Amino acid sequence: MSGAAGLAWGVAGGLGAGSAIALAALFGVWWERKVSARIQMRFGPQQAGPFGLLQTLADTVKLVLKEDILPSRADPGPFLRAPLVVFVPIAVSLLAVPLSAGWAPLDTSVGALFFLAVPSVSVLGVLVGGWASGNTYATIGGLRGAAQMVSYEVPRTLSVLSMVVLAGSMRPVGMMAAWRWWWLPLTAVAFVVYIVSSIAEMNRGPFDIPEAESELVAGYFADYSGIRWAIFMMSEYGAILAASLFGAAVFLGGSHGVPGVAGFAILLTEAIAIVTLVMWVKWTFPRFRSDQLMALAWKVLTPMALVQLAVVGLVAAWL
Amino acid sequence: MSAVSFWLIALVAIAGAWTVLVARETIRLIAGLGTFLLGIAGLYLRFAMPLLAASQVFLYVGGVLALFLFAIMALRRDEDRAGPAVRFSVVHASVAAGIFAVLVTALRDVGAASVDVTAGQDAVDAVGALLLGRFLPAFELVGGLLFVALVAVLAISAGEDRR
Repeated sequence: MSGAAGLAWGVAGGLGAGSAIALAALFGVWWERKVSARIQMRFGPQQAGPFGLLQTLADTVKLVLKEDILPSRADPGPFLRAPLVVFVPIAVSLLAVPLSAGWAPLDTSVGALFFLAVPSVSVLGVLVGGWASGNTYATIGGLRGAAQMVSYEVPRTLSVLSMVVLAGSMRPVGMMAAWRWWWLPLTAVAFVVYIVSSIAEMNRGPFDIPEAESELVAGYFADYSGIRWAIFMMSEYGAILAASLFGAAVFLGGSHGVPGVAGFAILLTEAIAIVTLVMWVKWTFPRFRSDQLMALAWKVLTPMALVQLAVVGLVAAWL
Repeated sequence: MSAVSFWLIALVAIAGAWTVLVARETIRLIAGLGTFLLGIAGLYLRFAMPLLAASQVFLYVGGVLALFLFAIMALRRDEDRAGPAVRFSVVHASVAAGIFAVLVTALRDVGAASVDVTAGQDAVDAVGALLLGRFLPAFELVGGLLFVALVAVLAISAGEDRR
């Protein structure tokens, strides 16, 4: 690819991923409010538009119009840039996910590693955003968030590694093509580890101790308002979208060999099922304590992923 | 065009490294270090080594840098806005120059043993075959060395606490 074409591709890919996350946040917030309402025997949003579908659109307008507050004790440079440091890596990682049989926006031989590596940059945004707020609650939230994100990267990477070993490739398109139905029972443990550690990576309930509203107000983004707060929130929904699409593609076989739009529809259905599972978990389990959360990562999930990797290694030797 | 992209990425990396040298605030130092490490990853990509680039981002930007920031925030809460700038010292400069000389000499010798890591899936396979095949003993030794270093750091810092 020549330089100019590469640049144009990059701009288009970035805009595409950003819009996809914005759309996912619009739909995701509405879906989450409906799912949580059903769990709590309520109706959820139902006034704006059919089934309350336009509610999040109205909320978006409100958020964009709100004042962008800079706290007096904040360090302006890092404070104003931190939301983008969280958002951009998540948007970029989305590009490596295969969207249909044989096609991914960014199709590279190290796609699985790319998908896991790039979002780890957003840890810096969480730390810096919390620190630059000049506020104890936000700083503690940032520290907790970073500790959690760095720890859960280990079992998450190991769980994906099982699939890499089975497929014999780190290229997500190839992993999706190599998928066989009997991998599902074989790698069930890896899938569970992947889902749990992905939820923890997103700092979502029951792993939302970094932003626990009852003790830390809202953690690392306590002092953010308006559009910058919205970018943090969109990053969370972007991470849900990316983790669900990648999980569906790699662990559930994605589009099962169907190319084009039909294949994407199959993949999206599986991904929405995972999204719903993630929301169901959040609204069912109470929050973990900080030490319980660390113990789960290092004493339960990491050994589970290692055992799974050993089992897969034995099976892969016979393939 | 290709030369332009090389110099652009190199400029970004050098600007990051320069920030690390002159920064007085820890947070700017970290931002500079992050820019520098991302710039290096960009150079790997520029020379068509996606495996190295992804590893660089994963290990250095996401792992090492986050741990640096974490440790600094946890340990140096009071001083971080007035951290001392690094002063020029002949000893430090000569140690840095010595390391640079050793690296250059070592890289010259490596030439014959190097592997072409620029060809997609084959490159991943080639790197894997080398690390887990011919160079497995060296690879394991380096892992053991890092582990010993980690334990040593823990022992030294715990010793300081007791004194």
